[in-house]
Amino acid sequence: MDLLTNWLATTPSFAEPYMLAALGLIISERAGVLSLGAEGFMLVGALSGVAACLSLGCSAPVALLVAMVVTGFASTLFAIFTILLRINQVIAGLTTVFFFQGLTDLFGTLGDWNKHTVLGLDRWALGPLARIPWLGPILFDQDFVIYLTIPVVAAAHFLLWHSLTGLRLRAVGDSPETADAAGVSVSLYRFSAVVVGAAIVGLAGAYLALADVKVWTPGLTHGRGWIAVALVIFARWRPWRALFGALLFGGIEALIPQIAAAGFDVPQYFMLMMPYIATLAVMVRAGIGKESVSGAPMALGRPFVREERR
Amino acid sequence: MLNRSARGDVAERAFRRLRLGRLLLEIRLEVSPLRQFIVIGLAILLGLLISAAILIAVGIPPGALWEEFVLDTVFDLQNLHSVWFLAGPLTFIGLAAAIAFRCGFWNLGLEGQMMWGGIAGTFVSLHHVGPEQLRILTMLAAAILAGAFWVMLPAFLKWRFAVNEIISTLLLNYVAFYFLVYLLFGPWLDPRDGFPHSPNYAPFERLPDLPGGFSSIVPLALAGALLIAWLVLASRFGLYVRFISDNPLAALAVGVPIGTVTLLAIALSGAMAGFGGEAILTGTEGRLTYTYFPGYGFSGVLIAFLARNNPLGVVAVAVLVAILFVAGQNLQIFFQIPGSMVQVIEAIMVFSVASAEFFLRHRLHWVR
Repeated sequence: MDLLTNWLATTPSFAEPYMLAALGLIISERAGVLSLGAEGFMLVGALSGVAACLSLGCSAPVALLVAMVVTGFASTLFAIFTILLRINQVIAGLTTVFFFQGLTDLFGTLGDWNKHTVLGLDRWALGPLARIPWLGPILFDQDFVIYLTIPVVAAAHFLLWHSLTGLRLRAVGDSPETADAAGVSVSLYRFSAVVVGAAIVGLAGAYLALADVKVWTPGLTHGRGWIAVALVIFARWRPWRALFGALLFGGIEALIPQIAAAGFDVPQYFMLMMPYIATLAVMVRAGIGKESVSGAPMALGRPFVREERR
Repeated sequence: MLNRSARGDVAERAFRRLRLGRLLLEIRLEVSPLRQFIVIGLAILLGLLISAAILIAVGIPPGALWEEFVLDTVFDLQNLHSVWFLAGPLTFIGLAAAIAFRCGFWNLGLEGQMMWGGIAGTFVSLHHVGPEQLRILTMLAAAILAGAFWVMLPAFLKWRFAVNEIISTLLLNYVAFYFLVYLLFGPWLDPRDGFPHSPNYAPFERLPDLPGGFSSIVPLALAGALLIAWLVLASRFGLYVRFISDNPLAALAVGVPIGTVTLLAIALSGAMAGFGGEAILTGTEGRLTYTYFPGYGFSGVLIAFLARNNPLGVVAVAVLVAILFVAGQNLQIFFQIPGSMVQVIEAIMVFSVASAEFFLRHRLHWVR
C-alpha cells in the first residue's frame, strides 16, 4: 500500500510537465501551426529557469515566470520562419529543436549553469488536509503549480471553446481563408498563438528543471517534448483529454523509481524505455480508434498566403 | 449633412493619405536558375556571417576562424584525414535521409538505425560469425539488415495504424539508445577494463586504410552515392518513387506498386543509416561505444535538405559538414567551445537556406 501511495503522490509532479507542454502545443496547433519545436522550447524554459535561480537569485515562482518570458521571446524566431517566411513547418520545427538543443548546451557551459543544484520549487502542504491518510499526500501535499492545473485547463478549455478569441483562433487553424475573409488577421493570431503556446511549453520545461530534477544538464528533457507532441495527437487537440493523457504518462514515469525502490529486479535501462514505448502504444491506440477523424485542425501545417492582385 | 456614400468617400480619402501601404504576396510560378543561384548563395553567405558573428561573440578571435575553418581543415594532414573520414559516414547518413524524404517519409530515426547497425556489426564480431576473411563484409551486411529492420517498425506503424513517423522514429531513437546502453553496461561490458564499451574488434574486423592513411569508407560512400543516384534518378524504381510522391492517386490508378516501392525505399534508407553506423565503428572507434552517433541524425536531415535530396549533391554537402565537424572539434579543444556549437551552425544554415525559398517562391509588392 505504501508503494501505491508513493506512486500516486509522485505522479502529479511527473505529469505536470507533459500537461503544460501539451497545453501550450494545443494552443499553437489550434491556430494551424505545427509545433514540433516543443523539445527545444522546453530546453529553453528549463535553462532560463535554472539560470534565473542561480544567477539572478530569483525564487522558484519568479524563475518560472522568467522562463515563460524568455521562451516566448525565443519562439518569435520560429514564428517568423513559419508565419512570415512560410517555410516548411516540419523543417522549421525540427531545426528549432536542434538549434535550441545546441544553444542551451552552449549557454549552459558559457554561463556556468551546468550541474549546479537549485533549491527549486517547494511543496506546499495544505494544512490538515495533507494529513488525511492516503488522499492527503496524493492531492494536498504538492506544489502550487499542480494546485493550479485544474483551473488552468478549465481556463484553456473556456478560452478555446467559449470565447470569441478561441473561435477566431480555431477558425484560423481550420480554414485560414474563411477567417481571413471574415476579417481576422491570420498572421497575428498565428503569431500570438505560437508565442503564448511556446511560453507555456517553456513553463513545462522550467517546471521539470525546478520541481523535478532541480539541476540543469544539457538535453535534460530527454524527448519529453516529442512525447508531448504525441500526447496532443492522442488528446485530439483537447485540453481535458490532454490532462488525462498527461496523468497516464506521468504515472508510467513515476512508476520507474518506485519499482526500483521496491526492489524488483528489472533491468533499469528497460524501465527507462517505458515512457517511449508507452507513447508509441498510445499513438497506435489513437490510430485504431473508432472515430475516423483525428480531430486535428484542418489547416495544421499549411502556411497561409492570401492570393491577391493589386 | 453629408449622405452616407459621400461620408464614406471622405473617410476613405483621408485613410488613403494616412496609410503607409503594405506588402502584397504573390506566388511566383517559375524561378530562373540564375535567380535561384543568387538568392541561395546570398542565404548561405548570410548564414555563414551569422555563425561567424556568434563564434566571435562567444570569444573566438576573428583571425582564428579563418585558420580553424579553412586553413587547418584542408592543409593540416591530420585534420584532412578526419575530414576525409567523416565525409564517408555523413554521406551515407545524408543518402539515408534523402531517399526517405524523396518518398515523403520523415525518417528522423537515423541515429537509432546507426545504433542498431553498430549493435548488429558488433554482435557478428563478438560471436565470430562466419569465416575471418569475410568477417568485415558479414559485419557490414548485418548492420545493413539491422538498420533496415529497425526502420520497418515505424513504417509498419504508419502504414497499419497511421502513426505519425516523425514522432515514432524519434521516440524509437531513445528505445535504441537505452538498449545500446544496456548492452554496454551489461552483457557486452569490456571485461578487461570494465568501461562501458564492447571488447575491441580484431584487426581483420577493421576497415583497411587506403595508402596515405586515408579511410576507405569514402570510396564506398562514393559508390553508394552513385548507386543511389542511378536508382533514384535513372531507374524505373526512381521514377516510381517520384511518381508516388508527386501524385499518389495517379500512381495508384496507373498500377504502380505503391506499397512495395515505398517500403523498399524506406528500408533502403534504414540500411544506409545502419551501414553508416557500423562504418564509423569499424573505421575509427574499433569497438561499440555510446558516443559515435550524436549529431548525425540532424546532420543527415541537413545534408538531404541542402542537397535537395539529390544523391550527388549529398556527397558535396557531406564534405562541407565534415569540415564543420572537424573545425568544431578543434574549437572544442583549443577554445573550450562546446561541440554543440556545430549543431547551432547547422541549424542556422538550414534556417537561412529555407528562408531563401520564400524569396524564390513569392513575389513581393509594396502597394499603397
